[in-house]
Amino acid sequence: MKTEHSFLQQLLNDPSFVNWAKNSNNNDIEYWNNWIANNASRIETVDTAKAIILGIKFEKNFPANYKVEKELSKILPQLRTDDFLIPHSIKKNPFKKYVSLSAAALILVLISWSGNQFYTNSTSTVHKTNYGEIIDLKLPDGTSVVLNGNSEIQYKNNNPRNIFLKGEAYFKVKSIPSTKAKFWVHTEDLKVEVLGTQFHVNTRKKRTNVVLDEGSIHLEFDNGDVKKMIPGELVTFSKDSEKLVHTKVTVATPYALWRDGTYTFNGISLKEVMTNIEYTYGVKVKYQHPQLQQLLITGGVPNQNLKICIAAIELATNTRIIHKDNTLLIQNNLNN
Amino acid sequence: MDTTPDKSLWFFFKKGDLNAFKALFKIHYPALHTYGIKLSNDSNLTEDCLQNFFIYLYENRENLSDVNNIKSYLFVSFKRRLIKQLQNKKLRTSFLEQAPLEQEIMFSPQELAVKQEVQFLCTKTLHNLLNDLPKREREVVYFRYYCDMSTLEISEVMEIKSQSVLNILQKAMIKLRKHSENKLIAEILKKS
Repeated sequence: MKTEHSFLQQLLNDPSFVNWAKNSNNNDIEYWNNWIANNASRIETVDTAKAIILGIKFEKNFPANYKVEKELSKILPQLRTDDFLIPHSIKKNPFKKYVSLSAAALILVLISWSGNQFYTNSTSTVHKTNYGEIIDLKLPDGTSVVLNGNSEIQYKNNNPRNIFLKGEAYFKVKSIPSTKAKFWVHTEDLKVEVLGTQFHVNTRKKRTNVVLDEGSIHLEFDNGDVKKMIPGELVTFSKDSEKLVHTKVTVATPYALWRDGTYTFNGISLKEVMTNIEYTYGVKVKYQHPQLQQLLITGGVPNQNLKICIAAIELATNTRIIHKDNTLLIQNNLNN
Repeated sequence: MDTTPDKSLWFFFKKGDLNAFKALFKIHYPALHTYGIKLSNDSNLTEDCLQNFFIYLYENRENLSDVNNIKSYLFVSFKRRLIKQLQNKKLRTSFLEQAPLEQEIMFSPQELAVKQEVQFLCTKTLHNLLNDLPKREREVVYFRYYCDMSTLEISEVMEIKSQSVLNILQKAMIKLRKHSENKLIAEILKKS
């Protein structure tokens, strides 16, 4: 506890960590994401430090500007201003200096900020999530992306409609009817060509899953094949096995529902659920008895917090899950 | 934290520069106003007291000490003044009540932003979680995130060490996380 405490101090005082928490400098973001991946046991302290930095957002109940002005105007006539005692020139100029002082500070901040912009403009942008973290992104062209835990998208700044994806993401592509500009998602296995639509791509487990919610998209494979998808369809393709699976998904299937922060399962085996958890949190799952893998889960599992996730799965399957050193050991619940 | 702007503003205010006084008023009136209402639960009393306070500041500016940090100075002296007012009011109205003079800092649901950046704070009942925290933790949270004070400013307002401010803040955050986790687990239990 003592060491965690001084560690927390250290984090709060580290400008690079503060940048990571505020998601503001690519180098720092990458450094700390890496660090966290290698120091999973410190995650709680890291979370607390991040929370202290980002803080609680209030709708401040401050009086409006006009109210402040009104109160000030009530006071001013009551002041016994002995202005005439102070020579006018001396009185005014120093305050101007104060104003120009703060203007200088503002310019400095602006310059360093735009400098940063310039730097990122000339290269590419990467957005990466930690285990269990879900982020909402708005791309420069207006497209929204929900990036699931342990995932990454990357694009060249001069071409933000050409995305490279690792992991799992949901896209709501902004269509640009005037130019009919296309939107591309590249994965290891295939390319998705889009004209303004909502769809979900998952590249985990050495294959790519694409689910289309709305609109229409084309899938382009390395061998030049093109497949058109219709809404409600799920396509799975793996470069390794060259196997293409076409299925129809119903609302009850778990795909893409994670973006509300919950995985919804409808009679899915514990094994499949845990594979999901392995990818989202970077943990290893072991089973005390192989038959435990066949238990079925129906219901919602919150996916942003491993502790809560485990508690929900324990409950749904009547098992005990022991979390130690990045491994989840699943056992029968002996209390029953 | 850079206190130079504060120092120069205070300097010109003490010289009697009316613009400096106006700036001081506009910068600090809003947060002091809200703070006063939280403590007194009485907006008329707060506004009267604030008026007198700023008039007092201007008229006694030459006798005021140099301050490093205007915000914490104003919070401390305004609170002292407000509590005196509350004392007078209590003397006039009732001798019987044993309740403390000032109210504790509490949060209403409307005061919390719906969209929180920190995942575990995204709950409709965040105001309840905050109001359940011990008094000092609530105060630190209020000064830090509602009044945007630095650790140093909070330590001056609460008259504790900077280190203690950080410790209290950390305790509060850990509690908030535990509570929201427990609540989520309880909800899941209820569903199944």
